[in-house]
Amino acid sequence: MDEEYDAIVLGTGLKECILSGMLSVSGKKVLHVDRNKYYGGESASITPLEDLFSKFKAPPPDGSYGRGRDWNVDLIPKFLMANGLLVKLLIHTGVTRYLEFKSVEGSYVYKSAKISKVPIDQQEALSSDLMGLFEKRRFRNFLIWVQNVQEDDPKSWDGFDPFSNNMQALYNKFNLDKNTQDFTGHALALYRDDDYIGQSAIGTIRRIKLYSDSLARYGKSPYLYPMYGLGELPQGFARLSAIYGGTYMLDKPIDEIVMEDGKVVGVRSGTEVAKCKQVFCDPTYVTDKVRKVGQVIRCICLLDHPISGTGDALSTQIIIPQKQVNRNSDIYVSLVSHTHQVAAKGWFVAMVSTTVETSNPEAEIKPGIDLLGPIKQKFVSVSDYLEPTDNGLNSQLFISTSYDATTHFETTCLDVLDIFKRATGEEFDFNKVKHELGDEDQ
Amino acid sequence: MATIKVTEQKVILCGEYGVGKSSIFRRFANNTFVSNNDRKSTLGLDNINKQYTIDEKTIRLQLWDTGGMERVASITSSYYKFAEAAILVFSLDNPTSFHLLSQHLLDIVTYAENAKIFLCGNKSDLESVDPQVTDVEMEQFCEQCHNLISATYKTSCKTGHGVDEMFEDIARHLVEANRSRMELHDMDKDHFKITSSDEIDEPSCLC
Ligand SMILES: Cc1cc2nc3c(=O)[nH]c(=O)nc-3n(C[C@H](O)[C@H](O)[C@H](O)COP(=O)(O)OP(=O)(O)OC[C@H]3O[C@@H](n4cnc5c(N)ncnc54)[C@H](O)[C@@H]3O)c2cc1C
Ligand SMILES: Nc1nc2c(ncn2[C@@H]2O[C@H](COP(=O)(O)OP(=O)(O)O)[C@@H](O)[C@H]2O)c(=O)[nH]1
Ligand SMILES: [Mg+2]
Repeated sequence: MDEEYDAIVLGTGLKECILSGMLSVSGKKVLHVDRNKYYGGESASITPLEDLFSKFKAPPPDGSYGRGRDWNVDLIPKFLMANGLLVKLLIHTGVTRYLEFKSVEGSYVYKSAKISKVPIDQQEALSSDLMGLFEKRRFRNFLIWVQNVQEDDPKSWDGFDPFSNNMQALYNKFNLDKNTQDFTGHALALYRDDDYIGQSAIGTIRRIKLYSDSLARYGKSPYLYPMYGLGELPQGFARLSAIYGGTYMLDKPIDEIVMEDGKVVGVRSGTEVAKCKQVFCDPTYVTDKVRKVGQVIRCICLLDHPISGTGDALSTQIIIPQKQVNRNSDIYVSLVSHTHQVAAKGWFVAMVSTTVETSNPEAEIKPGIDLLGPIKQKFVSVSDYLEPTDNGLNSQLFISTSYDATTHFETTCLDVLDIFKRATGEEFDFNKVKHELGDEDQ
Repeated sequence: MATIKVTEQKVILCGEYGVGKSSIFRRFANNTFVSNNDRKSTLGLDNINKQYTIDEKTIRLQLWDTGGMERVASITSSYYKFAEAAILVFSLDNPTSFHLLSQHLLDIVTYAENAKIFLCGNKSDLESVDPQVTDVEMEQFCEQCHNLISATYKTSCKTGHGVDEMFEDIARHLVEANRSRMELHDMDKDHFKITSSDEIDEPSCLC
């Protein structure tokens, strides 16, 4: 460890692994350390099942759960948007060659105490019970308009400036009712709360386009999920970092981030000090330089059946828009299963999560839990959502934010790209890697 | 849809740091050897495909190197996923690398349950009249692990001796194992690798 590096990365969560990969690829000498024995930190998928039970201090699982090592259970539920930033990062860095994906079978939205499928084509839209006939026509006109908008071509705006007008004005233009607004903002644009309504419409338009472009890629839903669980993602980027020269150390406690004149100079573990110019880490390595901005509750539920009303889907997402249950933030339900090699044959893993709003978070997720039917085992965790108080520009200490309650990786990637820019002074050049990797088949 | 396409068989190299995994990888890739690793030449490249024809059956071996992660940390479990074969490499001049094989074997059976496992003693050019690891010891090891090992080889990356023969034999083993499976194999596979989006042509609409 007693060497000098350009950058030391602490923690092998997804954000840190992407950063480590990007830095190594850019020619930096990187040391990547984790205090745990395994890769992934909070973004690991826990295996075998016995480890999940002991992590939550539950008695060991009985024989009905099948083989423990057939389970890989995520601690943080998320899906990839098929046309989103993480997929772009995977493709451009070549990390995609380490992974296999499945398309999530369907996306559902909660309305008046029942769930309905988010339509994926015109046929499904026509038969959907989400809105009445006239509303369907208005909604269709709205979608066609959104699809035609070109940001740099005012002629395509059809008299409505999406930059200077807010989203409410756009809803009004198409006469969309409150239910449709709810559906659009939360099930398509994937906003967690209603703040977007007062903001410039272009943000929502971009998100709806992301949703439909993602849907167009693999058909069944806009979401992808990796075989063997989300824990494969940080591992893929760690491997990228390693083949570009990054050095990995696991099971290495970090005792101090050594500073001189307010600037990072190294990292100490016991008596060893590794020198470096920059440190990148997750909030758990620098508890004195982060502030708590909220809490996220996540409940892992092991089921031996699919969720009723989803056509026995082996994977699905259900969004409960805040207004439907008188809240300020949405509740998310995600389901994956044995078909993704994350559970033993016949088993399903559901996760219910939301941003905490009261002093009784478990009661807050009840509407989500109630959709699941009988639950074999439940593990609840409430984690703080932490944000750095230092942007690193002077100290050269770059801290990521905690994983939020969103069900996809867009905010995760934005944080990573922002940190990369702050640290290197330049935007990450996606093309650089792609060209160097060349053609694998010679 | 995938019946015409030749199935790729992921083959991984496992074993201690320094036993010659990357050298085997380099022999497989372009049949060269460098004594003090000219690392630049493989920068960023960690798997390579090669086609074999066994009794008129075509098979593609896709060989994977660890990328040097085993130097100080453990290899990620994802390295093992989807592997059809694993080559357990030790160095014939280094008994320690032989005695530590059981740990690597355990990782293989844990994370690549269905992989066929092959044992490879490398650096045979350094084997003296008084060998550090004897054939008897290798046989005993195979017996101890309940015949999980499909075949044993000796190679020298320095002279190239035995390397081609090893891969050809591994290809033969995989063809035999897959004979019945291969036709069906890719047909019912519904998971996929993601590729760049250049090929979608028509803009999408939810409407
Ligand atoms: C299949 C495979 C196996 C590997 N096995 C091992 C292993 O067993 N042990 C091990 O330690 N490493 C291994 N590696 C990693 C790899 O060989 C080297 O770490 C990598 O070549 C970089 O080494 P380096 O940092 O010493 O730079 P060098 O290759 O010596 O390059 C010299 C300088 O060039 C710069 N540089 C390097 N890459 C870039 C780049 N992409 N863009 C701009 N500048 C760059 C570096 O800053 C460095 O200072 C493996 C990689 C692969 C693909
Ligand atoms: N004499 C001899 N040296 C070898 C042979 N194979 C590899 N080496 C050397 O052993 C060292 C380690 O090899 P490398 O392939 O990097 O091992 P790895 O860590 O398992 O990937 C290098 O210096 C190689 O040149 C061999 O067959 N004979
Ligand atoms: Mg090597």
